[in-house]
Amino acid sequence: MQLIKKYIPLAIVTVVGLLTLATYYVPAGVSSSYLETMNQWETIVTGFSMILGTVSLFIVHGRKVVTFKPGWGYSLTVFIGFFAVFIPGLLSSGLQATPSGQLTSLGWAFRYIYNPLSATMFAVLAFYIVSTAFRSFRIKSPQAFLLFVAAFILIMANVPLGELIWNRVIGWTGCTIDIIKNWIVAVPSVAAKRGIMVGITIGAVVTSLKIIFGIERSYMGRD
Amino acid sequence: MKKTVLSALLMLFILGAVPRFTSAAPEASAGTEVLFANLTAEDMPYDDGHALLLTWGVAENPPEGLTYEVYASTSPDAEAGWTKVNGFVPSEKTGDSVKMPFWAWKYGKESQAVQVNISELAPNAGQEVALKVKALSGDKVLAESAVVKAVPVENWFRTDRLNNFIGVVLVTIAFFLVVSRAKKKGLFVRRIAGLDAIEEAIGRATEMGKPIYYTTGLGAVSQVSTIASLSIMSEVAKKVAQYDSIMKIPHYDPIVMSVAKETVKQAYLEAGRSDSYRDDFNFFVSSDQFSYAASVDGMIDREKPAACFFMGYFMAESLLLTEVGSSTGAIQIAGTDSESQLPFFFTSCDYTLIGEELYAAGAYLSKEPMLLSVLKLQDFGKLVMIISVVFGGIAVAVAGMFHADGFINALINLFTSY
Amino acid sequence: MKDKLRKFLKLDRRWIFLLLTIVMFWPIIKPLGLSSGKPASQVEDFYNFVDTLKPGDFVLLGVDYDPSTKPELHPQAVAVLRHLFSRNVRVAMITFISGAPGMMQELIEKVPGEYGKVYGKDYVAFPYNPNYMAAMTQMNINLYSAFDKDIQGNDVKNMPVMQGIKTYKDMKGCIEITGTGMLDAWVAYVGDKYQFPLVGGTTAISQLGYGPYLQNKQLRGLLGGMRGASSYESLIQHKGKGTSGLDALNLAHMLVIILILTSNIILLFIKEN
Repeated sequence: MQLIKKYIPLAIVTVVGLLTLATYYVPAGVSSSYLETMNQWETIVTGFSMILGTVSLFIVHGRKVVTFKPGWGYSLTVFIGFFAVFIPGLLSSGLQATPSGQLTSLGWAFRYIYNPLSATMFAVLAFYIVSTAFRSFRIKSPQAFLLFVAAFILIMANVPLGELIWNRVIGWTGCTIDIIKNWIVAVPSVAAKRGIMVGITIGAVVTSLKIIFGIERSYMGRD
Repeated sequence: MKKTVLSALLMLFILGAVPRFTSAAPEASAGTEVLFANLTAEDMPYDDGHALLLTWGVAENPPEGLTYEVYASTSPDAEAGWTKVNGFVPSEKTGDSVKMPFWAWKYGKESQAVQVNISELAPNAGQEVALKVKALSGDKVLAESAVVKAVPVENWFRTDRLNNFIGVVLVTIAFFLVVSRAKKKGLFVRRIAGLDAIEEAIGRATEMGKPIYYTTGLGAVSQVSTIASLSIMSEVAKKVAQYDSIMKIPHYDPIVMSVAKETVKQAYLEAGRSDSYRDDFNFFVSSDQFSYAASVDGMIDREKPAACFFMGYFMAESLLLTEVGSSTGAIQIAGTDSESQLPFFFTSCDYTLIGEELYAAGAYLSKEPMLLSVLKLQDFGKLVMIISVVFGGIAVAVAGMFHADGFINALINLFTSY
Repeated sequence: MKDKLRKFLKLDRRWIFLLLTIVMFWPIIKPLGLSSGKPASQVEDFYNFVDTLKPGDFVLLGVDYDPSTKPELHPQAVAVLRHLFSRNVRVAMITFISGAPGMMQELIEKVPGEYGKVYGKDYVAFPYNPNYMAAMTQMNINLYSAFDKDIQGNDVKNMPVMQGIKTYKDMKGCIEITGTGMLDAWVAYVGDKYQFPLVGGTTAISQLGYGPYLQNKQLRGLLGGMRGASSYESLIQHKGKGTSGLDALNLAHMLVIILILTSNIILLFIKEN
């Protein structure tokens, strides 16, 4: 049992990990064939995993609807929403429009159901950002003051009205908001991002080595 | 007599001055010595056998409006089957326009270097290809080179990536050294407030009788941040099992869900509470970003969990999730390597793990000596990076002052990825 | 007085939501007509990249955004496509995001007709491909191994728009409009590897993260959010949704500034007293 549950999966991870690493240094056609095969396998596995996910979704929500648990109405909308797009998708063979440019039923569902719902969720973000900004940008420490100054400059610089106001009030000094914004974006922001990127990359390299050589095994459960 | 000797000497001189071609046929049209000096065709190094490299010396006094056209043929009869494969002005294709490091490339700006892709002409590696070059001024052909032949060959090692390969080997050796010398005790790791607060958060949830929500973000299981999140989830699940609390883990990716199921099951087993484990702790929600956010928001808003964990890769939905969690009064601990979302987590969560704190979490929570030792390797890597940046910067600045361009280029080559 | 001010600091977020709603609805009822200001240098670089393309040149247009980021990115895509068609450039639209084909369809319905462009002759749309890494790598060897059929299932190899196009070497560049990390993938797997020119359009929030790429010339130009779209529309002299949305954007930003300043002034007042 240990062989199947532990040693074989570890061997697969190590061999595949090392082979994939090797393809970076081996230009021969065998590398690109190997990568293409791996990508195809990944696409197939992802496709099957969607079935797995959908079954899980149906079981969880189906149970709620059948037993009338609190919130069963929301679970019912999961089924309604699913079939409202799935059935048109089947009927129109996955096409959004006919060759003559007419919207299919899937195209209609996408444009008039999915589009507004998705855009609404992203729009809600704007409201949350404003309320968070009101709560968070309060100067309670020197670091908070720096944060406030940077945020203030970047918010003003991001819109033409802000630029106009700044340049009218302070622009006569020659210090337009463009100059400050470009400096903040090009120097401290890029430096900080590069620093974080370096740290993340080193962490990713080490974590990948841990996975390839079987030290990190949380993804398959422990012994 | 003198005239004869002089003529003979002149003949000898002319013969001696004719340049030698390494793989060229001697018949070339007049004037080609100047335009196609040392014309050579060879296999393009470090490729999959679908390209050849054609090189010749840059013309010293090129005619005005000079352009080159390269022709290739696989016909055994070199008179026929010529296809134009490239056309360019001389300055576009010199030896230094090919991005290769000094240890893997011998051509500089004194050579024309053209990579000729012959994948369509000669789909199978090992087929001999004939090449020739025409020099034109506008539409007028000034000269045509001799025919040169070469065989494209599949190469097995990218020498241009030798710096990268050596780096990987060194890191791997350091990795094994560190792992083999993993100490049982004494390795200092600084306090990470977010991870210390996990126990407090779970205790709070148990007292209030409310569930704990844990999200692994939008990443696939192949992403490092998701793997890190799964190792934190394992520790959180163990504590949840010990406290006999409730844990809910909505998923974006079905594969991550499958892996998470195993992780949580194993955690309950290790905590000795396998009877409390339920398969529906982990459930799939949606593989669409905002559908996932809407669903999880609704669940958090209705069930009002006591603690929310957001660990993994997040995009724009991060603030949607954390704001709703904050409005319910839950204690929120977040960690991501997505630096654009860090500000949102900072403003709306109680604790935030930045980037590699997330990767270090597995070692920090489990206190396994091997994992902690590997953490030290990460720190060492960062130290090497800092030293490289500082001394590299100083070296380039000093070399610049002394106009040591060769040294600067060599240093840049050493630290460039090809 | 201090208690009232403290209450204001703990204002229910729903009042802020209402205030924001009013501020954003106002320009719809009464447009303010604010200008988009001077375009940023990366927007001008983007414009110049497209403007130097010649008639008959071929580019890839990556439509990698879904309806959630449509307000920011669709105006960019529309403006860029208008510019491309006005220069008689051949365009192949590709996507690696499952929610994007609908966006592609909207582009096809809106823009080509304005310039008399014909599908199959001047532009083509490829279907969604889930495997971006494989497709990006394959296009360097043979585009048709990644995309052999168009969005309607027709064979693309013999279409007039695809004449002479097989690999990245036959194309002039890629214009990637995305709200995901797809632009990073293009830079890493294509731009750097094959020296393929890239320009990008992203959401405003992601824009700052591409600073390193712009500095290293891995990206030749960048449009950021609705402001980027509006600036581009002013450069091509064809106003669209980017410009019309700018009024609301301006006022919303001003509201944020006012709220932040107000809360800090109140905090200062409370502390002093």
